[in-house]
Amino acid sequence: MAKHADLSIDFLGFKCENPFFLSSSPVSSSYDMCARFLDAGGGGVFYKTLTTTIPEECSPRFDAQRKEATPFIAFKNMEQTSDKPYQENLDMMKQLKEDYPNKLIIGSIMGMDEDNWEQMARDVTATGVDMIELNFSCPQMTYEGMGSDVGANLELIDTYVKAARRGSHLPLIAKMTPNVEKMEPSAEAAIKAGANGLSTINTIKSITGLDFDSYTALPVINGKSSISGLSGKATKPIALRFIANMAQDMNLQGVPISGIGGIETWEDAAEFLMLGARNVQFTTSVMQYGYRIVEDMISGLSIYLAEKGFEKLEDFIGIALKNIIPADDLERDFKILPQINYDKCVGCARCYVSCMDGAHQAIDWDNEKRKPTIKEDVCVGCQLCLQVCPVYDCITPGKVLFKEEDQFGKGSLSEWKENASNKRDIIVGMYDWI
Amino acid sequence: MSNSTSIGVKEGIDLKPKQGYLEETVPPYTPFMAMEEASRCLLCYNPLCSEGCPAGTNPGDFIRAIRFKNFKGAAEIIRSNNILGGVCARVCPYEKTCEEACARSGIDTPIHIGQLQRFVTDYEKTTGFKALDPPPATKEKVAMIGSGPASLSAAATLAMKGYKVTIFEEKEKAGGVLSYGIVPSRLPQYVVDEEIEHVTDLGVEIKHNTKVGRDITIDDLKNEGYEAFFIGAGMQVSATFDVPGSDLEGVTTALEYLAAARSSGGKSDIGTHVVVIGGGDVALDCATTARLLGAEQVTVLYRRTREEAPASRLELSHGESLGINFAYTFSPAEFQGENGKVKIVKANGTRSNSAMKLEADKVIFAIGQKPEDISKVVSDIGLDSKGFVVTDDKGKTSIPGVFVAGDVASGSAKTVVHSVQGGKIAAESIDEYLKKGGE
Repeated sequence: MAKHADLSIDFLGFKCENPFFLSSSPVSSSYDMCARFLDAGGGGVFYKTLTTTIPEECSPRFDAQRKEATPFIAFKNMEQTSDKPYQENLDMMKQLKEDYPNKLIIGSIMGMDEDNWEQMARDVTATGVDMIELNFSCPQMTYEGMGSDVGANLELIDTYVKAARRGSHLPLIAKMTPNVEKMEPSAEAAIKAGANGLSTINTIKSITGLDFDSYTALPVINGKSSISGLSGKATKPIALRFIANMAQDMNLQGVPISGIGGIETWEDAAEFLMLGARNVQFTTSVMQYGYRIVEDMISGLSIYLAEKGFEKLEDFIGIALKNIIPADDLERDFKILPQINYDKCVGCARCYVSCMDGAHQAIDWDNEKRKPTIKEDVCVGCQLCLQVCPVYDCITPGKVLFKEEDQFGKGSLSEWKENASNKRDIIVGMYDWI
Repeated sequence: MSNSTSIGVKEGIDLKPKQGYLEETVPPYTPFMAMEEASRCLLCYNPLCSEGCPAGTNPGDFIRAIRFKNFKGAAEIIRSNNILGGVCARVCPYEKTCEEACARSGIDTPIHIGQLQRFVTDYEKTTGFKALDPPPATKEKVAMIGSGPASLSAAATLAMKGYKVTIFEEKEKAGGVLSYGIVPSRLPQYVVDEEIEHVTDLGVEIKHNTKVGRDITIDDLKNEGYEAFFIGAGMQVSATFDVPGSDLEGVTTALEYLAAARSSGGKSDIGTHVVVIGGGDVALDCATTARLLGAEQVTVLYRRTREEAPASRLELSHGESLGINFAYTFSPAEFQGENGKVKIVKANGTRSNSAMKLEADKVIFAIGQKPEDISKVVSDIGLDSKGFVVTDDKGKTSIPGVFVAGDVASGSAKTVVHSVQGGKIAAESIDEYLKKGGE
């Protein structure tokens, strides 16, 4: 075996074996399901959200967003909270904690009113689980005043966190909704009211597609459909931005965050960790591929961290935050021209088409030789060509030019030079298949 | 598969293969291509591909690792099970093993498992990733006789358990059949050298130009402190059968022909009209070698049909694409010569009364090999009637402390991947034997 780094990390006082968790969802619906994930190597589970009344569900309840021949890239889910009797769930959670004392077991609850929140918090605490997640964010609840309605309402958040706190001494984790412009106010309200940590994002309100015969959204439920939550790989960029915003928020410093949103691979997970999440949760990738995906998350992340020389995962958490800066603080006085490796170019002209119709008309196309050429004087260094090129390592970042300003300074006429007076080493980022 | 050869039939068209002898036939995958191919994988539950590998590799696991961007984890999965992962990626008969079992065949074509394995082992090299982290060598000394696939596999397994392993190789280069047999267009020498480096990186020492039984004896080695011995001597002698004219100049054997071509980088006497006798991968290697090195006409004589030929389908099609002639159900009857050199091969149909006469200045017997006299290496060792070392299913021989695997073992399937597996099993037996204090 190669060298692997230790992945253990603390979360709200519990030493987790690794940062990989099932989110509270269809994949964590029973003792057996959770146990299978833990046996596959998972660090812990957020058990499927409990309500005291079993919700009625529709059929079918899923749809998938596809793109060309790829497996689905986003997933629409209309399922609500647990479909098992309340007491049965409490018993299973108790059994889980007893059988897996070293794994982090977190109960998840969603109340209807203050008393209900308090009572459920008390009941879940009595099972012996380690923490409680407060679900303020499910976007497909059929009852008013539940789910994501709460997450967008600062008063309700305050009331319900306090209610749960009355019922439990355990660490409370508020699960936040992304169906808001800013998550920070809701998160701050939860922490102020007594929550100890945050998990996010829950699913995004969506319509994935329409049916062309019944003229309704998918999935079709007897000719009708509803807006409901979107998850999966395509939601990751949105999730990452919420995580970064919260991790950088002055009022949320030191509040542990559990990251969720489109995690399939160890790289996806590592991205959340670099932005300050202390662990990650996933569901859609498990629905698609099964619990076994956690094996490659553990293997991939531990090999990467060992190779990078990280002694503990803690040192990796939030490592990218200092490099996420406001757009107006970015350096804007250089451009990186793309370069074409003609030994690899297959002459498809996709770079030419994209540059002509989607960028700055900076590529010449010789149709006879089927050869693209970069016009260096016109190219702005946007690198759209590099993004669309279908050949590995064919178009890569090349020469760096610097803006040499004339005596009138910024905003006036300027020239791009390789050896300008303000030349310096530029860090060139490129997806490098680590 | 490569279409990089062009065999024209019309006058004026270049009849020579465009591919070079030293150039690998199949181009490698880029990371994009590997992801694309891995994305075709259905990620089956308890996949059958993982039951299809004679060496116990789990393609289901390493393809899934590729699919989930865990390339180095994939390398670890392959390498920790098979130290010769890069070699097997190129020479394994996948179509009869893992790829035959692939469920994707039910939709279109199987996943190119061999190509993906090759991508991962190449990736290991490009990134300098060390998939294995051996413990310090603190245990007993073990000697390996021969440095072919079985020995390399056994040596790596033992080194990973902390044994001090030395390989004794009679030739200049290590690798056995990998360095002296298989055609470089299928298995380039740099790949063999890199794989051997993986073994030496684990602390295994190789003593070249040292033939046990000639330059040094088992007793000498015992005196030097070696406590267990592994015979991975392979098959050093080409089989022939009695054909009138076999003593003519130009009549040779597969082992001689391939070794001469491979060790000279293709500068040996190849022949212009070449006839190869046999229908296995070794026969194909001879025919491909001849064709790629410029022989004008290469004919393979095989006594059975194409369907019955033991050679890999891939190699057969590749041979056909190179313009090699295949004469199935024909067997040589006589070699005729002029001035002591072979000039004509007469062949008769094995299943008909057909007869043919071929011009030939080179005739190669590739109908199988057999071991050299192993009793000269280890006296009194139990051999079967054909000279193969008798063993149980754990690689134990009749002599305590002496173990065997690979082609030289009686009853073994003569492929690289089976030798890798045999080496692993024998290494486990050696471990068990030494743990019990040599009992």
